[in-house]
Amino acid sequence: MLIRARTIKSGSGSGKAVVCSCPLSLLGGIDTATGKIQDGECESKGLSVAGRVLCFPFGKGSTVGSYALYQLKLNKKAPSAIINESAEPIIATGAIISDIPMVDGVDISLLRTGDSLFVNAEDGSVDLPDVVERHVVTNIVRNKGRILLLLRSSRVGSYRGLWAGVSGFIEPGESEDAAARREMGEEIGGGKVKLLRKIEPQRFRDSDTVWCVHPFLFEMPERTIRIDWEHEAFEWVAPKDVSRYPTVPGLQQVVYKLLGE
Amino acid sequence: MMHLSRDEERTLAGEEGHGRQKAMELLVALGDIYGAKRLIPIASAQVSGASFKTIGDAGILFLEDFSQKAKVSVRASLNPLGLDLRRWRSMGVENEFHSKQARIVRAYSALGTEPLYTCTPYLAGNRPRKGQHVAWAESSATVFANSYLGAMTNKEGGPSALAAAIIGKTAEYGLHLPENRRPELRIDIESIPDGLFPIAGYVVGKVAGKRIPHITGLDLSPDEHKAFGAAMAAAGAVSMYGYSNPRHTRGVNTSEVEETISLPASELTECANSLGGDAEWDLVALGCPHCSPAELRSMARYLERRRPRRSSDVWFCTSRHAYARCPKEVAVLKKFGKVLCDTCMVVAPIERMYNRTASDSGKAMVYLPTLGKQRASFRPTRALLEAISC
Repeated sequence: MLIRARTIKSGSGSGKAVVCSCPLSLLGGIDTATGKIQDGECESKGLSVAGRVLCFPFGKGSTVGSYALYQLKLNKKAPSAIINESAEPIIATGAIISDIPMVDGVDISLLRTGDSLFVNAEDGSVDLPDVVERHVVTNIVRNKGRILLLLRSSRVGSYRGLWAGVSGFIEPGESEDAAARREMGEEIGGGKVKLLRKIEPQRFRDSDTVWCVHPFLFEMPERTIRIDWEHEAFEWVAPKDVSRYPTVPGLQQVVYKLLGE
Repeated sequence: MMHLSRDEERTLAGEEGHGRQKAMELLVALGDIYGAKRLIPIASAQVSGASFKTIGDAGILFLEDFSQKAKVSVRASLNPLGLDLRRWRSMGVENEFHSKQARIVRAYSALGTEPLYTCTPYLAGNRPRKGQHVAWAESSATVFANSYLGAMTNKEGGPSALAAAIIGKTAEYGLHLPENRRPELRIDIESIPDGLFPIAGYVVGKVAGKRIPHITGLDLSPDEHKAFGAAMAAAGAVSMYGYSNPRHTRGVNTSEVEETISLPASELTECANSLGGDAEWDLVALGCPHCSPAELRSMARYLERRRPRRSSDVWFCTSRHAYARCPKEVAVLKKFGKVLCDTCMVVAPIERMYNRTASDSGKAMVYLPTLGKQRASFRPTRALLEAISC
């Protein structure tokens, strides 16, 4: 999987990812002698950043943090590259004075500690060769304020026994809109539906797959549907109750994004 | 992405050497982060990160390496060091700290920065004019430049101010753009009790956070603005304020601000009391920001008919520039304590010398407990002068 990114410090670097999902202070957050993360809030506490790709949302704390990166470099404990969600001056300054390739604009929640990463800060990309991105559509179907959840059957290839929207892979050469319409026909028997909204794709990581979900919102005049072999039950639920159901990854966020705005 | 001129592209490609390339990389990265469209020339820079205490061993090694590859191209003055270059022994600074500080001084001198060693460059010759773009680090100087002098600067970090000094330019974003200099919050100050203008700044900084406040009823001398703004910038993330008073309105339209807050005098007194700390101190530290010649004169005038009490050590912190202009006053103050140049209680290794420090500075109330590991006590200037004399 290739992720586009913005170059902050040019160069390239690769290695296993060390991911910290909270903001990191470099002054005190990393031991400059050993390269080990010592910030108590970081789930990667105790891991060394030396020669790894350090991934975290953004820096916080003292401006002296820039020099802490430089000290890591002098001690040969520096990360081989840095990935941020949104760069701020402390980390950017540190990366530049320490010659550490750095990019930002990457959704850190898609990365896992231990991923193999190739950061190309020359053309602005991050490659995850062991991770595959799959494009799917997820249709949220609404009737009188309730939305349709489908229980995935034991015969489908993934996420059996979990609740989902009307969803499926986008076939090669097919547009998202066509895929959305096709799945409506296959999974719930089509019917009179009206497309209300389509939002930008949402990405979710699940083991070695990043699901790139293209969300659609449809309005349906009645609640009668016909399900096929892919599902064994359906329910019309209030959007706020989605969190009570065991669902496929990210469904709650898709519902929130589609309806919340 | 920023648009760069052909010359700027050449610098970025490294055709003018590695040092200028790194400086340009830094300016471009910051410009991109903040959405700047271009670089603009600056009249001067103020570089922070001069004390060994704040930049550490890594800072020394970076500066030593960088100083062999680059030189500043515009006027660039330097922030206070961790010691008085002449009286460091009597201050109580250890040899090792001194030798590391000396390496920093040598590196900056090779880079070509002006050895003012003060947070008040505007009182020592580096005083931008209204409307001029500068790249200043040092939060207290930045807020004074933007608010009192009417110059235009963001609050730079040490390395970015140095990079701007080397290239002679900075990225055009934030407070360099007139549309970002409008007040977002109005604060009506009823009146400021005697000597509590640093506390007023402290409270305004806490209230304003990241917003630019416009303060009505603010009638301060230039030196009072210096202390007021310093406290505000330290207590909040404020790099600029507007103000008006009956004599001086500046014609600012505050009708579009999102919020108006009135600050009664009682709140300032309460804040001063809450920062009151201890009744006894190891050190009384005056001069944060550095004392101006006028402040040295005023303190000497009060103290010249009194005798030292010697209940604690006393530091009067000032710039070498102000020190040289006030020999008589300095002689008076020296009877009561040390008159220190090149340094101050915030960036000197005070934690190795004292535990309890009193100061008249709102900025020091932010940094003494953190950077200085002190039990800090606020008192108005006059109260401290009374306490150290009889």
